[in-house]
Amino acid sequence: MDYNPSLKSKSLRKAVRMFAEAEIGPIAHDIDRDAVFPWDVVVKMKSLNFFGLQAPKTFGGAEMDSLSYAIVIEEISRVSAALGLCLTVHNSLAVYPILRYGTDEQKKRFLPDMVKGEKIGTLCMTETSVGSDAAGVETHAGQEAGAYVLNGTKIFITNGLVCGTALVFATTDYQNPRKGSVLFIVERDTPGFIVGEKEDLCGMRANPIATIFLENCHVPEKNMIGHPGDGIRLCLKTMDAGRIGLAALATGIAQAAFEASLRYAKDRKQFQKPLSSFQTIQNYLADMATDIDAGRLLLYRACEALDSGRPFAGEAAMAKLYCSAMAMRIADKAVQIHGGYGYSKEYDVERYFRDAKATEILEGTSEIQRIVISRAVLSQRA
Amino acid sequence: MNEKRRAIWVFGDYRNYFQNRVTLQLISRARELALPIGAQVSVIVFGHNVDEIVGNYTAHGADRIYLTDHPRLAEYSMETYSFLMERLARQEKPEIILIGATSFGREFAPHVAKRLGTGLTAGCIGLDIDENGLLVQRVPSFGGNLIAETVIPERRPQMATVRPGVFQELEPDPKRVAEIITVPMPEHMPPDRIRLISSELREAKVRRLEQAKIVICGGRGMGSKKKFAKLYELAELLGGEVCATRPSVYLNWAGHETLVGQAGKQIRPNILLSFGISGAIQHTASIKNAHFIIAVNKNPNAPMMKMADVAIVADASQICNALILELQRRIATKQSHPSDLSGNSAV
Amino acid sequence: MLRLVVCIKQVPQVSELPWDPDTGRLQRELAEGMMNPACRFALETAFSIREKVGAKIAAITMGPPSAEEVLREAIALGADKGILLCDEKMAGADTYTTSSTLAKAIQSKIPRFDLILCGSSTSDGETAQVGPQLAEELDIPGVAYVDDIEITGNKARVRRVADQFLETMEMELPGLVTINARSYIPRYVSMTGFQAAFAEDITTYDAAALGLSPEWIGSKGAPTKVLRVYSPRMDKKNIVLTGTTKKIIGSLFSLFDDRIGGIIGKDLKTDKKAK
Repeated sequence: MDYNPSLKSKSLRKAVRMFAEAEIGPIAHDIDRDAVFPWDVVVKMKSLNFFGLQAPKTFGGAEMDSLSYAIVIEEISRVSAALGLCLTVHNSLAVYPILRYGTDEQKKRFLPDMVKGEKIGTLCMTETSVGSDAAGVETHAGQEAGAYVLNGTKIFITNGLVCGTALVFATTDYQNPRKGSVLFIVERDTPGFIVGEKEDLCGMRANPIATIFLENCHVPEKNMIGHPGDGIRLCLKTMDAGRIGLAALATGIAQAAFEASLRYAKDRKQFQKPLSSFQTIQNYLADMATDIDAGRLLLYRACEALDSGRPFAGEAAMAKLYCSAMAMRIADKAVQIHGGYGYSKEYDVERYFRDAKATEILEGTSEIQRIVISRAVLSQRA
Repeated sequence: MNEKRRAIWVFGDYRNYFQNRVTLQLISRARELALPIGAQVSVIVFGHNVDEIVGNYTAHGADRIYLTDHPRLAEYSMETYSFLMERLARQEKPEIILIGATSFGREFAPHVAKRLGTGLTAGCIGLDIDENGLLVQRVPSFGGNLIAETVIPERRPQMATVRPGVFQELEPDPKRVAEIITVPMPEHMPPDRIRLISSELREAKVRRLEQAKIVICGGRGMGSKKKFAKLYELAELLGGEVCATRPSVYLNWAGHETLVGQAGKQIRPNILLSFGISGAIQHTASIKNAHFIIAVNKNPNAPMMKMADVAIVADASQICNALILELQRRIATKQSHPSDLSGNSAV
Repeated sequence: MLRLVVCIKQVPQVSELPWDPDTGRLQRELAEGMMNPACRFALETAFSIREKVGAKIAAITMGPPSAEEVLREAIALGADKGILLCDEKMAGADTYTTSSTLAKAIQSKIPRFDLILCGSSTSDGETAQVGPQLAEELDIPGVAYVDDIEITGNKARVRRVADQFLETMEMELPGLVTINARSYIPRYVSMTGFQAAFAEDITTYDAAALGLSPEWIGSKGAPTKVLRVYSPRMDKKNIVLTGTTKKIIGSLFSLFDDRIGGIIGKDLKTDKKAK
């Protein structure tokens, strides 16, 4: 086991950090405040292949391993979690399932534009009355002469407003949604694919999270990933891999909150001494540093498991569960260390706090992660 | 040429006002360095019709001037100048060569040092002679975070480029006399590999706050918008930029673009003049890399005053006004000063 | 096809300089490295030349084994190959020995170059001397602080601002420029470029491979010797001035004229001319 980051990992982190700090840093606060998606920066990210992180070279991607992927998401999220979320949903939940489970024809048809970032991807699962319980899906896919007709409403869709290619989870069978579960690739310009308004959320505000309405949306049969009945399995597999991105995102937020706290504790003076000279604050910082390292090690272990082809679902769920809760703890402490400034919208720490909370909910709540982990745990002999 | 005495050379860099000033500053310092080693101070002048400059260097303290006056030298040329400098130095063997750290000096000096096979210290902010008679050169690195002291123990001459404004020029004495040694242009010069096509003097561009060398920062202690506006007058006199703290921006005394005290915004001027600023953490974190801080505040215990190099306990607005008057007075004196070279008379 | 050589340097990230709190010394071995910012401009200038007239670009650096990183970065950004000059005997070099070593490597390994590009100065040493001295060592023309360059045939037309003079010059090739370049905004490492860079081989040469005698390189061959290094922050005095306004202004100028007088003098003049 090598816990020392390789030259490659260190260099990648520096390269992404340089871009993120210079290009995203100056606007990160404003895009959150104004809840706008920064197209200017996204265009730059496209040209630097951030939308094809793990896609193979043949499709114009960077063909990164999971560890590198996690580092990229971590570093972008350290500056703007909303953009980190954009990337991880696109790369892990849209590009990855097409790559992994799609036909050659589907890959050729959809991936080049997605990898270039010309079409930003998303995965539409959550519905008004169905969240964690994916098997209760209500969006209906009716069959009609070589096509399926989708009807339903998908909410909290990350990248919703800006997506070009969406994966839509539905069922052909109201009575037995699991048995009839299907996953489609739907182009944004398909008639009946209607993007609603941006959601007004607590955090991740620069990500154009939106509701998507499907109204008699005709999708050709050849756009189905897998076969009828595969939908739920494919979605859950996709979510397994997606957890690595979310754990990395949470780690990035935590890192930012920690660095802000460290700077502040060294600079801010109370009772004629810097905050960092008080043992209480020292203890906070020690706990924060330990917590972040623990989360990061869980994350990198999950990456390593995935890259070496071993089962990784339990590891990824542990990383996601731990890192998201850790991010929340770190952000909370960061606000506390900053006092009134931490609570002020003028500064970044309260943004970290709001963004961190999202990581405990998105892409499988912490409660769902515990179910996944407990399955792995309970399968062991007592 | 005649008597061989140890010599400290100063390169006569005169192309614009500011280059000329640093030459005068170096002559002054060279005279002080010459004392412990019993050397004389020579200035090397290449140019065409440069009598005024030669006279000026004489008045400012040169013992000897080596002058090559030729139409070909009317325009600065790094190649020609370094060829001539090498030739002269090989012949005369000076102990030390000092060159102003102007753009030209910093390009010219390394060529000369390489040709002479000797060492060169770049952008010195301090020069001394140690007990062995060696030139000790102090040079900042890492953006002024570190200072290194270097010597050139074996090779000769010892060479250094020196930043402008480090030393004080002498008062000119029109009665002084220097030995002028005319060095003829050699018959055979190497062919020019670099040809100057055009050269025009440009006004200095307005610097952005982050790059400004002098920054004047005002806080709430300035008292009012009207009093704050005086800082712009001071900035103009000093060639600096004005910035403001959060409260003064909120009070609309200054525009938002001047705000210093935001997460991530760092300024690192050579000189920061801080007026009426107590020093909230966001502000002090942004200006802590300033090299030299002069702070004015009524409260001697304000954090800003504690981190300043010079803390002036007084009303900020009053000091600002007094500084403006003093600077205006100094300008008036300089303008009427007869021995001053005008900006680019030599070109 | 032009052959361009870009000299780059790994420097410590200044924002993360680890200081020894007791001695005020920089713990350089702990600092993370990065590519010197001006070298990024030099590389970008080389890329722009390549886009216009076609070129092969070699990046070369002298440094410790960890300097491999900046060569990888150069390749990730678009350089065609990376050359590392690495030897303990090269350590402690001043600009004189650095330029000698670089010159020797370029002469023996890339002899048919057309143009060498260097950053105008480094963020650590800030000497701005290696470029000019490398030109001198190779006996080729060199122009410093170049903002803009255009290559036609065997000549380079360069523009620069030096001491407030906007100058246009024509230089014969082969030649050397140090780049100040505000004209070319350095690109960022792309993710595909990054992956490709780590698949490339970096060529490493030590002193023996370059036929360099240990006497002539590194700290041994350096004409300048560092006596000591200290942090000026330790020298910071907190001088307090009080009294009447007149007295304060008087002492301010008498105490600090040496420090601020020169700068003020210069800018007074600039101001006068502007009016």
